[in-house]
Amino acid sequence: MDLADRIELRRFVGREHLLWLWFETELFEGNLRTSKHGSFAMWVEGRMVLSMGRERTTIRGSLPGAHREAKEAVRRGKLPEAVGFRLDRGELPASFVLKGDSLALSGLSLPEPPKEETPAIEVLADAPRPKRRGKAKDDADAADADYDAFYERMRRTRDVEEVLEALYADFLALRLAAPWRASVWPAIERWIDGQDVDASGYRAIRSRATKR
Amino acid sequence: MPALRGSLTYARFFVSGELPEDFRQRLMRAIRLRAIQPLTPEDEDLERTGFCRIGDPYAIELGYDDVFWNEYVNLGVRTDRWVYPGSAVRARMREGEQVYKQKTGRDKMGRREKAELKELVMRRMRKQMSPAVSAIDFSWALNEGVVRFFSHGDKAAARMLDLFHRAFGSMSLSLVPEAPYTLADRLGLSKAERSAWDELEPSLAEPDVDDREEGEEA
Repeated sequence: MDLADRIELRRFVGREHLLWLWFETELFEGNLRTSKHGSFAMWVEGRMVLSMGRERTTIRGSLPGAHREAKEAVRRGKLPEAVGFRLDRGELPASFVLKGDSLALSGLSLPEPPKEETPAIEVLADAPRPKRRGKAKDDADAADADYDAFYERMRRTRDVEEVLEALYADFLALRLAAPWRASVWPAIERWIDGQDVDASGYRAIRSRATKR
Repeated sequence: MPALRGSLTYARFFVSGELPEDFRQRLMRAIRLRAIQPLTPEDEDLERTGFCRIGDPYAIELGYDDVFWNEYVNLGVRTDRWVYPGSAVRARMREGEQVYKQKTGRDKMGRREKAELKELVMRRMRKQMSPAVSAIDFSWALNEGVVRFFSHGDKAAARMLDLFHRAFGSMSLSLVPEAPYTLADRLGLSKAERSAWDELEPSLAEPDVDDREEGEEA
């Protein structure tokens, strides 16, 4: 198989990855874990688009995966094309939409950290007399602010990407091994049909497969 | 400026090839060489793409500090394009057709003559208008070997890939778009996993046609 076929004929793997992420976030009630990052909170939020060919179902809401139409669409053969997630891991939360076919992110929102508040009386007491500022100084300050904002945003973007890459690596460890057909996919099918899934049994299978 | 402000929507591209030893100088030369030359009415090109400063499409004199942000190469990918208002083109075509008919005494214009008239109308319109200018942020993390391109548009990506190839192709650098396979490959697949990848079939069976029709949404 050549490179183009490996890319184009297997784009469905990205959609199956989204389905698996949705399954895990529900099964583990939003408490996910990777060996590199430990445990963190992640859940489906905001938007979910499922499609098969030209047929498409779009669900919006705070928990779109919980809508009856979502799993109904999967039962009819649709796979997630784009899913909104919220990732809460230590420092600050992030929300984004992950696309299945390209694994590209859209609308990655990284709220700025809250600024420490200083009592107004201290601000006024410490404030120097206003000086006339040159344009060059203003431009330099603006450029510095841009640099700082950019580095901080890239650092946090990279954090999100690393978590998603670790989850994708775990998914591949399952998807490209025997347990997928034997245990994982049957569990996902039961979940789609609204049946109970043995979370601890699944977790044990996952742990074995991802220990590489 | 999505790279600097607001929410981030981007596609990742993996850089294939090794950076040369004196890469900063060579990248800078290549970038300056491919800085956008703004489109003018006299140009034959109807569209042109080149680099500009990130966040400022009109800053095209690129200095080292504009481009290198520590381990990042940050640029804008600017495209100049003639965009003709359809109604204005149609009105001028009608005027042109009238003149043609009066001069030649013919009732109808041929297909070739119409095409020539349209070309003439557009050439004249270019002298009275400015090209549409758009720029998309481009951030190349040199230590990661990843380009983040702040658009999901196929055409925009194709223009950027072409520009990257023209600018850095001579250094044997190319870009591979992120996709389920390319990311898997980057994360590292064992031999067994690679052959499993080649054999993959969708997990979800196609539903029976009857089932689908029964449950069709309104």
